[in-house]
Amino acid sequence: MEYVSPEGLRLDGRRPMEMRQIRAEIGAVAKADGSAVFEMGNTKVIAAVYGPREVQNRSQQLSDQALVRCEYSMANFSTGDRMRRPKGDRRSTEISLVIRQTMEACILTHLMPRSQIDIFLQVLQADGGTRSACINAATLALADAGIPMRDLVTSCSAGYLNSTPLLDLNYVEDSAGGPDVTVGILPKLDKVTLLQMDAKLPMDIFENVMQLAMEGCKAVANYIREVLLENTKTLEYRRGV
Amino acid sequence: MRGIQLSLNQTQKLRLQRALEQLESLSSKANSNASVTIADTIPVNYEDGVLKGHGTSELDGEVVATMCGVVERVNKLVYVRALRARYKPEIGDIIVGRVIEVAPKRWRLEINFSQDAVLMLSSMNLPDGIQRRRTAVDELNMRSIFEENDVICAEVRGFQHDGSLHLQARSQKYGKLERGQLLTVPPYLVKRRKQHFHNLEQYGIDLILGCNGFIWVGEHIEAKDPMVEDQVNKSEQQNTKSSKNFTRLEEQEQTYTPPETRQNICRTANAVRVLSTLGFNITVEVITETVELSSSLNLDIHEMLGSEFCVLVAEREAERRRLLTKKKG
Amino acid sequence: MLQSKSFVKKTKQGRVVKVVREHYLRDDIYCGASSCKVCDSSVACLSSNASPILIVDTNVVLNQIDLLENPAIDDVVVLSVVLDEVKNKNISVYNRVRALCSNSLRKFFVFSNEYHKDTYVKAMVGESPNDRNDRAIRVATQWYQSHLGGRTRVLLITNDRENKRKATEEGISAETIESYVKSLGRPDLLDLLVHPTSGDVSMGEVEDLRPAKRKVIYSEHKPMSEITSGLHRGIYHQGKLRVNRYNPFEAYVGSESIGDEIIIYGRGNMNRAFDGDIVAVELLPQDQWHEEKSLSIADEEDDEEEDVHLVPGSADDAPRTTNLVQGSARDSNSVSSRPSGRVVGIIKRNWHSYCGSLEPMPMPAGNGGVAHALFVSKDRRIPKIRIQTRQLGNLLDKRIIVAVDSWDCLSRYPSGHYVRTIGEIGDRDTESEVVLIENDIDSRPFSSQVLACLPPLPWLVSSEDLANPIRQDLRHLCVFSVDPPGCKDIDDALHCITLPNGNFEVGVHIADVTNFVHPGTPLDDEATQRGTSVYLVERRIDMLPKPLTEDICSLRADVERLAFSVVWEMTPEAEIISTRYTKSVIKSCAALSYIEAQARMDDSRLMDPLTTDLRNMNALAKIMRLRRIERGALTLASAEVKFQIDTETHDPLDIGMYQIREANQMVEEFMLAANISVAEKILKHFPPCSLLRRHPSPTREMLEPLLRTAAAVGLNLDVSSSKALADSLDCAVGDDPYFNKLIRILATRCMTQAVYFCSGDLSPPEFCHYGLAAPLYTHFTSPIRRYADVIVHRLLAASLGIYKLPTIFQDRPQLTSIADNLNYRHRNAQMAGPGLSRTPYCHLFQETADRHGGQNSEDKIEWLYCICAQVWYRRACVLDTKR
Repeated sequence: MEYVSPEGLRLDGRRPMEMRQIRAEIGAVAKADGSAVFEMGNTKVIAAVYGPREVQNRSQQLSDQALVRCEYSMANFSTGDRMRRPKGDRRSTEISLVIRQTMEACILTHLMPRSQIDIFLQVLQADGGTRSACINAATLALADAGIPMRDLVTSCSAGYLNSTPLLDLNYVEDSAGGPDVTVGILPKLDKVTLLQMDAKLPMDIFENVMQLAMEGCKAVANYIREVLLENTKTLEYRRGV
Repeated sequence: MRGIQLSLNQTQKLRLQRALEQLESLSSKANSNASVTIADTIPVNYEDGVLKGHGTSELDGEVVATMCGVVERVNKLVYVRALRARYKPEIGDIIVGRVIEVAPKRWRLEINFSQDAVLMLSSMNLPDGIQRRRTAVDELNMRSIFEENDVICAEVRGFQHDGSLHLQARSQKYGKLERGQLLTVPPYLVKRRKQHFHNLEQYGIDLILGCNGFIWVGEHIEAKDPMVEDQVNKSEQQNTKSSKNFTRLEEQEQTYTPPETRQNICRTANAVRVLSTLGFNITVEVITETVELSSSLNLDIHEMLGSEFCVLVAEREAERRRLLTKKKG
Repeated sequence: MLQSKSFVKKTKQGRVVKVVREHYLRDDIYCGASSCKVCDSSVACLSSNASPILIVDTNVVLNQIDLLENPAIDDVVVLSVVLDEVKNKNISVYNRVRALCSNSLRKFFVFSNEYHKDTYVKAMVGESPNDRNDRAIRVATQWYQSHLGGRTRVLLITNDRENKRKATEEGISAETIESYVKSLGRPDLLDLLVHPTSGDVSMGEVEDLRPAKRKVIYSEHKPMSEITSGLHRGIYHQGKLRVNRYNPFEAYVGSESIGDEIIIYGRGNMNRAFDGDIVAVELLPQDQWHEEKSLSIADEEDDEEEDVHLVPGSADDAPRTTNLVQGSARDSNSVSSRPSGRVVGIIKRNWHSYCGSLEPMPMPAGNGGVAHALFVSKDRRIPKIRIQTRQLGNLLDKRIIVAVDSWDCLSRYPSGHYVRTIGEIGDRDTESEVVLIENDIDSRPFSSQVLACLPPLPWLVSSEDLANPIRQDLRHLCVFSVDPPGCKDIDDALHCITLPNGNFEVGVHIADVTNFVHPGTPLDDEATQRGTSVYLVERRIDMLPKPLTEDICSLRADVERLAFSVVWEMTPEAEIISTRYTKSVIKSCAALSYIEAQARMDDSRLMDPLTTDLRNMNALAKIMRLRRIERGALTLASAEVKFQIDTETHDPLDIGMYQIREANQMVEEFMLAANISVAEKILKHFPPCSLLRRHPSPTREMLEPLLRTAAAVGLNLDVSSSKALADSLDCAVGDDPYFNKLIRILATRCMTQAVYFCSGDLSPPEFCHYGLAAPLYTHFTSPIRRYADVIVHRLLAASLGIYKLPTIFQDRPQLTSIADNLNYRHRNAQMAGPGLSRTPYCHLFQETADRHGGQNSEDKIEWLYCICAQVWYRRACVLDTKR
């Protein structure tokens, strides 16, 4: 299958180094302490953050830091085939864990001892890159909830098909079975907090692909920062003095 | 960006937009470029060493924000005042909370903080008003004072060494709140002031603006001296022991809230709701103004939550702030 | 820059699934005209001279690809919508167009109109996809017109009448391909034109014929919707039509739904289907099922009688099928149990171009004008094809290539067009060229880029090679090779040492081809494409250039050569104790032929070290062989057919049985062992991307014909396992000396061929090699003549950490496609050998001069697979001619 035409266009008309259109909206869930919707092309994820709040299960309470929990789920209607999805299947458990670890790494948990932070992620539309979209949405929701963080975490994926590194794979490209590198970075600290790939790639190509994914992350970070700043300014001017 | 989720028609949309733009232009003069997001560097003058406050951390010798908010500087202290966040208690804050658990010698209260607050039995005046050690009997009777889900007004006493937050209610003005509505708004909309208890006499209601963003709107209750009350009660009891029916009636009368007051409570509550939707600062002045606006327009209470009123409030707020800045200028 | 337009598509995969995909429209897609000032001209390839820019419609690309390939047609814009349509309809045409577009000598430009913001069109309500695409083509043409202003003329070339009309209405200059070619004033191009069938714009003559006078020869194909529903309801059966190679009037359709093959007798029932087409078949009533033998004779007669008709629609188009019907009526009393049917529709055509010649015919009176001629393909399975030509005189005695365009139900023969001439009929070069073309074998000399990759000659082992730590110096060992006499490309050598502990060290040394063929070089690309060397009667078509094949890589005697070695320590019972893989430098001390090696072993007086080594190895090999047979390896056709070839004329004289010497078996045994050891090693290191070779176990259905035949002669075969089958084949002895061989050959034919595959594509239980009874197998020992071995060499080197794994191994789809290509080339190379024997002047089987034919039993299986078809045909009367 040809994923990049000889003219250098992908199946959806992007060039290899281009991301899909991204869009973010803060405050999608009124009840939550922080919430956001994040879209990467047709992938749409809603994130809601509750907390920091009293730990529900006392035995899990940590006396020196906050407990971070994360729940990822895909809506039945998120894919074309409307499959009934059992809750807590292996894939969602794995993604929940990955996101939890990624977010935990940047939340200043020691500032909120004996409390818990819940992150709920729901995929409304899946078109590849749900993992990345979830992380981006979670970052926005956490920032909206006013939870102190070391840095923003942003994520983006990149793949390698037809001997070309491709940024931000959509579902068709993702299901091609090629390597798919999901990277999460702390843009300010310039550190990688997440790096996932379940295929083999030679080191030099892998570095190229990862570099591309990191460029994507940085682009996402710039966008997220803009959105957050805009949001903060709005809240501030509305509040007045 | 956080949008206001209302169904607006085209003109309303324009009007709201114009009002918000006006608000923006008014505030930008006062506080430009103070907003930061996570991981933004806060420019500081290193010559006279800085104290890093809340919401900041140090990275490679730079002061970096750890949350979104507004940079505030007080002398050498630099901190980020978070906007949308949970309540950060300060000693002496007056707060409104809800009892969620009755535990040995204490109540646990949900106050929109990262943990539940603790109100010790010893930190509150007993109903009989006598200062004494709390006995086991008192402990057993705790539920007669506050039960689960009761709404309580109290004051932040401070953090215990184990990190838990303690409250106190050693005054008549604190205690159980009844016959009214509890509203929750983001805490950043409530500014700390001298006065958080307000009695809106014209409406016969009490308004408590809890620093934690819990706002109580209820029927006005005269703060009575407990000793006097007790005596009255005692004499009444003696008087009315023979005629139980009469007592019931009187009790009913006491607990009965007149419809006008109820309406006023709702009107005020809706005013708070509208203001919180728009993200405006919530003070007693603004609330009364909003209530007045709604009654002057002869709006029904339910209409206050409609989009039209929302736009009107926004316009009015813009106008108000414009006048305020003019005055200052 | 990005605009997002999502659209909704519905795909049917049993159920309706809603697919939402993004479609980004861009403004950075350039027009490709070098005269354009606005666009980025770095990619522009369309010339700026006065010639018009041609925008071709899909039907033009699909039908007139032969014309487009002619250098006279240039400055063509191929729209991406056209490419997509072509890709969906005919992948081979697509590949040809792609090749044209990437050819820097041709001025073909691909314009991605589907992604350009101004030329993207959304399907309107009620508009069919076809209409939308036509509109997209017109919109793109219009865009070109306005974009280039008046500087360059833009011409839409379409043969769709409707499209042309609409284009003209919209102010686009449009022409049909015929009128355009005519305007060029090149009559030779007109021969390449495909002549339109009804529905397209035509020159009117076909339409003018009175339809009443034309008789319908074939029944109309059923519409697709009816076929689909028929298939669902089980009335029709879908399958690939295979025409009997020896009787073109008989074809078989293997149908899954019926679980058996459906026989189709006669052209009438075949209803214009070609060999390889996917067809829908309807079963005939059982009383019309008939025996094949008598009918096939009737068909042959019919074939002889058939006369040439030259003018389409002429009155002599009377259906000949009556003859067949009579034939079948005669035989209907002997109803056979095999279902027969007739084709009702063609689901997918398998048309390509065919080699052959024109049927001899007198020159028509009006010489020089357009003449109609009948083309006879070399492949008997292909019916005669009617073509139009203006150069009849030139073509009559030539081998030519013709492509099929259409087959109307009114005409007896399909119509096609002339593509090119190969050469004179009967000329040896021409004929072998034909064989090569038929089998898609590239026999062109190596390009200069490829030759530039060779090391300078004379080549010698350098001191760097010797100093290289990865390369072990094994020059002190007594290494020798055993090959057929006259072999020049020696890619394997052996050695054997008796160790002090009584064990043996046995080494297999394989030419280190990957030392010279580096991934990504033109040399490597060329070898990937060729896939294998091809051995023909009188020549060999090399996979690698001659200097590599015969000198640099060849492990000749008494010269130092680089090798890749597998060294085992073996007990005298031939148990492998340890295996070592290393790159090495060797110096072969003798290049023996099988006969020489055998003679040495047999001559008890000889006691020199070389002979002792030979004897030791032979002893080990015998044990290994026995063990292998014990495991159930099949010796399916152990006796080889041998051909004696006249040294002068290269014509085969006789066939006989090839004598298998122990020496052959000895070499074979060690090669198998090396291959297996290497397969284990590479799979361990690279589980997802190893190139292995498997031979699938035959299913019971596949062995059905074998069992049936065996049962017919009163023989019981046990096919429960390969071991059981091998044993029962050994017991199958008939009166005929050929009987056992024929049974074995039939057994071979019932099995599928062994294939290369990428280990990531299958699960480990499927890896096994049935014929060799080995759980893992690959090809390692002949890198000079097989590309698969080159890949395996690279994998092995990477597993030893000598080299990095080339990037190609990361791309599993690409690896799979390489494996598929290797299988395809391998099969073709084998077809090309016996293919020659079908030439008219040569009736006997020909040894393909394949010296490797005898090297290991797996090669034998495949090679026999091909020749047995003919062996079978000659002795078939007693047995079954199903395939």
